[in-house]
Amino acid sequence: MTSFILILLASIFFTGIVNRVKSITSGRKGPGILQPVKDVIRLFKKKPIYSKTTSFVFQVAPGIYFASVIMAIMIIPLGELKGIISFDGDFVFFAYILGIGKFFNIIGALDTGSSFEGMGASREALFSMFAEPAFFILMGSFALLTNHSSFQEIFTSMHFGSSITYVLGVLATIVLVMIALVENSRMPFDDPKTHLELTMVHEVMVLDNSGFDLGLISLATNLKFAMYGALIANLYMGNFPLYLTIPIFLGIQFMFAISVGILESFTARFRMNRNPQYILVLSSVSLLIFLGVLLVLGEFR
Amino acid sequence: MEAFELTIGSLTLVLLSLIAIPLLPIKHKATGGLILVVLIAILSTIPASKALFQNSTYQFRYETGYSPGNISIRIDSLSAWFILIINIICISGALYGKGYLKAYLDQKANISIHWILFVVLQMAMLWVCMAQQGLVFLIAWEIMSLSALLLLMFEHEKIETLNAGIRYLVQTHLGVILLTTGFIWLYSAEGSFEFSAIDKFFRHHPNQWLFLLFFLGFGFKAGIVPLHTWLPYAHPAAPSHISGVMSGILVKMGIYGILRITTFLHTGFFQIGTGILLVAIITGLYGILNAAMHRDLKRMLAYCTIENIGIIFLGMGIGLIGKATGNLVLASIGFATALLHTLNHALYKSLLFFTAGNIYQQTHTRDMEKLGGLIKNMPGSGLMFLIGSIAIAGLPPFNGFVSEFLLYTGIFIGIKSIGVHYVTIMITSFASLALIGGISMLTFTKSFGTIFLGNPRTEFHRQPREVSLAMLLPCFLIICIMLSIGLLPQFYFSLVQNVVQLFVPVVSTEINFIPAALTYSLAAIGKYALLFILLSITILIIRKIISRENTKPAVTTWACGYPAPTPKMEYTGKSFSKSLGKLLNFIVPEGKKYKEIQTGEIFPKKRKYASHYMDVIETKIFNSIIDRMLYSLNYFKFIQNGKIQAYILYGIFFIVLVFIGTIFKLI
Repeated sequence: MTSFILILLASIFFTGIVNRVKSITSGRKGPGILQPVKDVIRLFKKKPIYSKTTSFVFQVAPGIYFASVIMAIMIIPLGELKGIISFDGDFVFFAYILGIGKFFNIIGALDTGSSFEGMGASREALFSMFAEPAFFILMGSFALLTNHSSFQEIFTSMHFGSSITYVLGVLATIVLVMIALVENSRMPFDDPKTHLELTMVHEVMVLDNSGFDLGLISLATNLKFAMYGALIANLYMGNFPLYLTIPIFLGIQFMFAISVGILESFTARFRMNRNPQYILVLSSVSLLIFLGVLLVLGEFR
Repeated sequence: MEAFELTIGSLTLVLLSLIAIPLLPIKHKATGGLILVVLIAILSTIPASKALFQNSTYQFRYETGYSPGNISIRIDSLSAWFILIINIICISGALYGKGYLKAYLDQKANISIHWILFVVLQMAMLWVCMAQQGLVFLIAWEIMSLSALLLLMFEHEKIETLNAGIRYLVQTHLGVILLTTGFIWLYSAEGSFEFSAIDKFFRHHPNQWLFLLFFLGFGFKAGIVPLHTWLPYAHPAAPSHISGVMSGILVKMGIYGILRITTFLHTGFFQIGTGILLVAIITGLYGILNAAMHRDLKRMLAYCTIENIGIIFLGMGIGLIGKATGNLVLASIGFATALLHTLNHALYKSLLFFTAGNIYQQTHTRDMEKLGGLIKNMPGSGLMFLIGSIAIAGLPPFNGFVSEFLLYTGIFIGIKSIGVHYVTIMITSFASLALIGGISMLTFTKSFGTIFLGNPRTEFHRQPREVSLAMLLPCFLIICIMLSIGLLPQFYFSLVQNVVQLFVPVVSTEINFIPAALTYSLAAIGKYALLFILLSITILIIRKIISRENTKPAVTTWACGYPAPTPKMEYTGKSFSKSLGKLLNFIVPEGKKYKEIQTGEIFPKKRKYASHYMDVIETKIFNSIIDRMLYSLNYFKFIQNGKIQAYILYGIFFIVLVFIGTIFKLI
């Protein structure tokens, strides 16, 4: 429960911080940190417009997407504290519940019959498909390392005793940050601020959403960011007491947000047709982690 | 009820179908067929459910005094599991076929024979599951294959149906040759065709080779890559309820055969397990990649069947590796997954084929790129296709997720418990399972999106309408079962454990070696799947309340300011999966038919551009082998010259040959 509330809390500020960092680095005054939340509230009050082409799928899709993100957040633990949902193999449930959200997101986009939204949907499906093995190899390696298979148990028993596990933690951070960027369609993979539909991924999928639906989608995006931040934070928490884990959690979320902001300010978007290759690199990094785990366990003797 | 009455009763019902169905008036033939199917189902379900729930095995032997002529029948929990699946799918198939074939009521003889064969097919499949003796098994197997062949050739006037039928006939018989060889080998070694002789054989001999023979023989039916090439032709050609039955259970009979042989194995678990695991990974990835590319709806579903066969084999391979390493938990999870996924796949694949049938009946096309926006005309079918898609992509809250979750858990336990060379295999299967999941999501978002969403891509002369309730009813039934598996997986898992005992002999029934954590996890995914459904509904209700009087009138889809978008501008299914196809074009190459404009052509003429995705294994490997064979076999063409006199002469030659052979004691 604690982690759930903390993630909700972090999500309020997360995108705001990212935007603030971006505005500072580019020398603009920029909006306040709470601006994304205000945007969502404004969207909730707005009248939605629907295309004549759309069917009920378009109307239910954002809700189910949002529900899936909420379910996924419930699974995330905080150090020793379990998430609301916790059982052996819960990370599989985590990946697949996010999967169903994505499924509805994609068919919601296809429901508009637009020539652009299908493109975004296709890219989203392709990119997340390539990111999936990386996540599973990563979690499989940690399961091998810790002999556990639920988030909370894996994270608490990832004793950073030998020096290699620190390296593994860093590598895992890289993988998780990259997965977070892919899943949230952020900078090196997708430019959320681009104005050309042809080069968008996520933004083009929600072109026709408006009002409450669009509010739900942007809320879900904020939540997803904080969720991945929480996962990364968990890598470093171990079994620390609560008065340490909460500062660590907030600190890592803050650092994550700042680094996303800096990354977005100083890098250009990858070429679209190169994206799958970049994402496949994640799988090889995960394989490195796997080999590292084998090393730690002394399997190569 | 005694097993004897079961056999007699079943044969009587088939005979009854032969007599009764042709005599019924054309309108009631389907009802007659349905009633017989239900009767057979009841007859076989009673012993099967006893075998499954109470572990009481049914046995029946008919001794003729001559050992190859003995008939022995046995229903144990493995047979029972498959019998129940057969009955569920056959009843829903018959129910659906009753509505589906209404459009063909003018073909009287065709319909009669179709329903008779449907009954025969069901009975033959049941006998395949019951027979415990090689010869009886082969006869039942052959009746099953042939009745399926004739069922799939319902529209026999079409060339593509004939083509598909011949492919199926040849490939299924290649399998039969291997099976027959296997049984003859068995007979020559052990002097018996009984299945128990396989057990004896495996005790004294190395297990791999005979198993390989059976594996390949059954593999033709199961459609493992590279023996799969009949599936993508047979499924589109058959009427939809037959495709559903074929993909749902006929293909699974291959799985049944392999599982049955697996129960007798004594050694060689590691080699066999690893081999199966590798075949499974290749089958799964190859199947789903091809499914992602194809635009023929039923062909796509056929490739998707291949993928799911891969997942079933993945479970089986893990189970065998568990046996090899003595890890009973791993073994039982592996086999449980294989069995459960067999049921799951049978359910959602027949559901998808039935909805594909609805689409075909209304639009008379299977080409996804010609469809679009159907959800407005056919909301019921659309919703069902959506549910089937979610289930088959392995997403919660439906049943597909349960077997995938079990598989992940199994691989997990595998990773934890065994040495480094196993770990590599396990992590490979882990990654490929994730990749399969990803690609199947892409495949089914594409299919659902292209067929049901957006604007219609072609104008139909007759607007597609929702099909009759009778055709939707079997789909409803299937969805109910699917949802029950998704929400109560622990119940089905414990049910499957009765079957798993055949593979993983329990030392004592009191020791429950399935960890409590796993049962808890399974219960948890059911519970949280329900929570997810409730959460979604709550959010949607809130949304409804907030935006009740708050909706602006509908407009056209935003097209970047372009005011007159047409359906032609919609994103097509092909472009949806194109980027994946481009990346992996060495597995799914695209064949193009296009003549480049020559420099000398001053006024280029009208030209056509056509492209289609090819099955690498079929076009690059099999076709080249067949071409070579044809080249050399051409020299023997004079033998088949179409003259009856010559054929009679061959007969005489043969008789003389046999005569001389017996005189000189050569035969």
